[in-house]
Amino acid sequence: MNFDLNTEQKMLKDSARNFFSREADKEFIREMENDEKGYSQKMWKKMARLGWMGLLVPEKYNGEEMGFLDMTVLLEEMGYACLPGPFFSTAVLSVITLLESANEKQKKRLLPKIADGSQIITLGWIEESGTYSGKGISAKAELKDDNYIISGTKLFVPDANTADKIIVAARTDNSPEDPDEGISLFVVDLKGDLKGDLKGDTNNKSINIEALKTIRSDKLCEVTFKNTIVPKDNMLGEPGKGWETLNKVLLKAAVAKCAEMSGGAKRVLEMVVEYAKMRHQFGRPIGSFQAIQHHCADMLTFVDTSVYMTNMASWKINEGLPYEKEASMVKSWVSESYKKLVSIGHQVMGGVGFMEEFDLQLYFKQAKACELAYGDSDFHRELVAVEMGL
Amino acid sequence: MDFAFTDEENRIISEIREFIEKESTPEMLEETHKLERIYGGKLGREFIKKFASNGWLCPSWPEEYGGINSSAMLTYMIKNEMAYSGIPALFVGAHMAGPTIMEFADEKMKEKFLLPIAKGDLEFSLGYSEPGAGSDLLSLEMRAEDKGGHYLVNGQKTFNTHAHVADYHWLAVRTDPDAAKHKGISILIVDFKTPGITIRPMITIVGSRTNEVYYDNVKVSKDCLVGEENKGFNYIMEALDYERMFPFAHYRKVFENIVEYAKEKIVHGEPLSKKPLVRQKLAQLEIELEASELLYYNLAHVLDNGKVPNYQASMEKTFVCELDQKISAVGMEIMGQYGQLSKGSKWAPFDGEMEYYYKWSIVETIYGGTTEVQKNIMAQRGLGLPRV
Repeated sequence: MNFDLNTEQKMLKDSARNFFSREADKEFIREMENDEKGYSQKMWKKMARLGWMGLLVPEKYNGEEMGFLDMTVLLEEMGYACLPGPFFSTAVLSVITLLESANEKQKKRLLPKIADGSQIITLGWIEESGTYSGKGISAKAELKDDNYIISGTKLFVPDANTADKIIVAARTDNSPEDPDEGISLFVVDLKGDLKGDLKGDTNNKSINIEALKTIRSDKLCEVTFKNTIVPKDNMLGEPGKGWETLNKVLLKAAVAKCAEMSGGAKRVLEMVVEYAKMRHQFGRPIGSFQAIQHHCADMLTFVDTSVYMTNMASWKINEGLPYEKEASMVKSWVSESYKKLVSIGHQVMGGVGFMEEFDLQLYFKQAKACELAYGDSDFHRELVAVEMGL
Repeated sequence: MDFAFTDEENRIISEIREFIEKESTPEMLEETHKLERIYGGKLGREFIKKFASNGWLCPSWPEEYGGINSSAMLTYMIKNEMAYSGIPALFVGAHMAGPTIMEFADEKMKEKFLLPIAKGDLEFSLGYSEPGAGSDLLSLEMRAEDKGGHYLVNGQKTFNTHAHVADYHWLAVRTDPDAAKHKGISILIVDFKTPGITIRPMITIVGSRTNEVYYDNVKVSKDCLVGEENKGFNYIMEALDYERMFPFAHYRKVFENIVEYAKEKIVHGEPLSKKPLVRQKLAQLEIELEASELLYYNLAHVLDNGKVPNYQASMEKTFVCELDQKISAVGMEIMGQYGQLSKGSKWAPFDGEMEYYYKWSIVETIYGGTTEVQKNIMAQRGLGLPRV
């Protein structure tokens, strides 16, 4: 076993740490909370120039063709910086979905535009039930001549308000025996001025997008399709097999989210320990009290276990080994650990941790948002139980 | 990064597994269980001598001292395999005294002890705790007076678990009562057959034995001093770093039995394992066992890179031992009424194993440094928080 990053990963980590400390201070993070788009196009372009959008994209589609582990190294730093924005939906969620399901022609058309930063793509799958399950998908896609006609409402779609395209999961079979069957994936153009890129779907007035107000002010949207016409060629993968793809995407995205959470957790621990050393009460630093020391030791344990667990699952994905059980173990563990860690952090910080002007609240909200994304602890524990043969 | 074991590591582990399968008898396993897995029982010694002849007891030691020069990783794997299989797994000689002798003792002492330790011929008992010195080990008072050619030792030790089955005492004594607390402690190796030593049993909640040891004007030759006089506390701290590497696979075994029980026990027409709450609890333990494994093997990784783990060892100890208690508590919850049934009782699942571990696991967060002491270490060494 080897728990260390390799030289390239260390370099990626350092350059990401430097980049975000320069480009994304906490004033910027707060601005983004109130920004309608939720990201800065200037910064997006810089990130694209560093090759980060195309980190997972193969070289033949103008990407960097780096591994999943490299991506988690980068995401840990984004989490450390508490950075919001459409990076995750584009460079992780959509790239993984496309790599898992798109045909050669579709990859050629879509991936280079992600890699060069010119397009934001997101994925819409959850509906009213709020669950990540095939059962929850009832949006319909009906074949009519050379097009599919899509109707339905997707919820909690990240960054749809700024996305150029959306990958939508919809039913092409309304009454399959297994609810995970009969779901297909489609690429749908969201922006009129980009029509012609994927020929045909000009009827985008049939799509309504509304950003929802959320705890973290990240841009989760309701996206409603009303008889949206999508060319047949925009279907990803085989008809009816969309859930197979989404299941892989769910688990990989879950691990990737854990990297973000691990990074956030590291930063919270640093802030809290620094405060405990500096803050004096009863004539001594509060960090000299055992009650505080034990809180901090618990936080350190949450950080280390989160990092090791995330790296282990990420390595499995990276190496092409079975990762299903590990991915769920990790998402369950890290979601809960990060939430607890922030909560302990609040206890150590006392009143100031609760104030808007102090950064802890940013991470508190990040922890909840990340916990909910791609399955919470209970959800993944049940998947672990299934993997254990219970 | 690489989270797989090498083929060579896996090969040696399966060789060891086969050996244990072939050589361990029910009687030896029963004796070991009664001794709470400490080394020194008659059948355990016979078994471990054969086991050790392959270099597996102190695998990381050089060949001249009976090891196979293995990596820390392989050593950790072997220790965990020993824990899983129920053979003797708690050694003072091989795991604590030996490494300290190797590091700090003179050649004569190395010659005398290292090879016999690695061959399983000798076992030690740890002589640290006293009635007034538990977590606060620096307050130990057992006195060793310099009488020219020998020390004269007087005082009392408690919780010296191996004492009734070991050959030698790894004894912490105060050689300079006037110096600062940490500068007056020395380590002596004392033969338990020396006149003036009395060993009295202390019986635990599961009926296993630990000991009080009394020294009444015991003459100990100066040849028995480990390293330098009054440097003992440094050696103890060093050795504690070795002790704080807690294999956890014996509780994985317990966990596997709980899972099996949940799958097989039918309540109201369906197995317990189909109940959502039971599934959640078992999955949580599985997850924490995975985390334990990573904390444990990370220690080996650190050692193999030429560093000494410090706060990480405390973290691993704390995490694993708290998990041991969770496994025991969850097992009791899942077995419900049946969990309370003791060994030999009609209806007892796994012959009362759950009831036994529920009692025994109390000790996990206490021995080898309490959870609270470990958390102090993590906060102070790991995070640089100030001592009072």
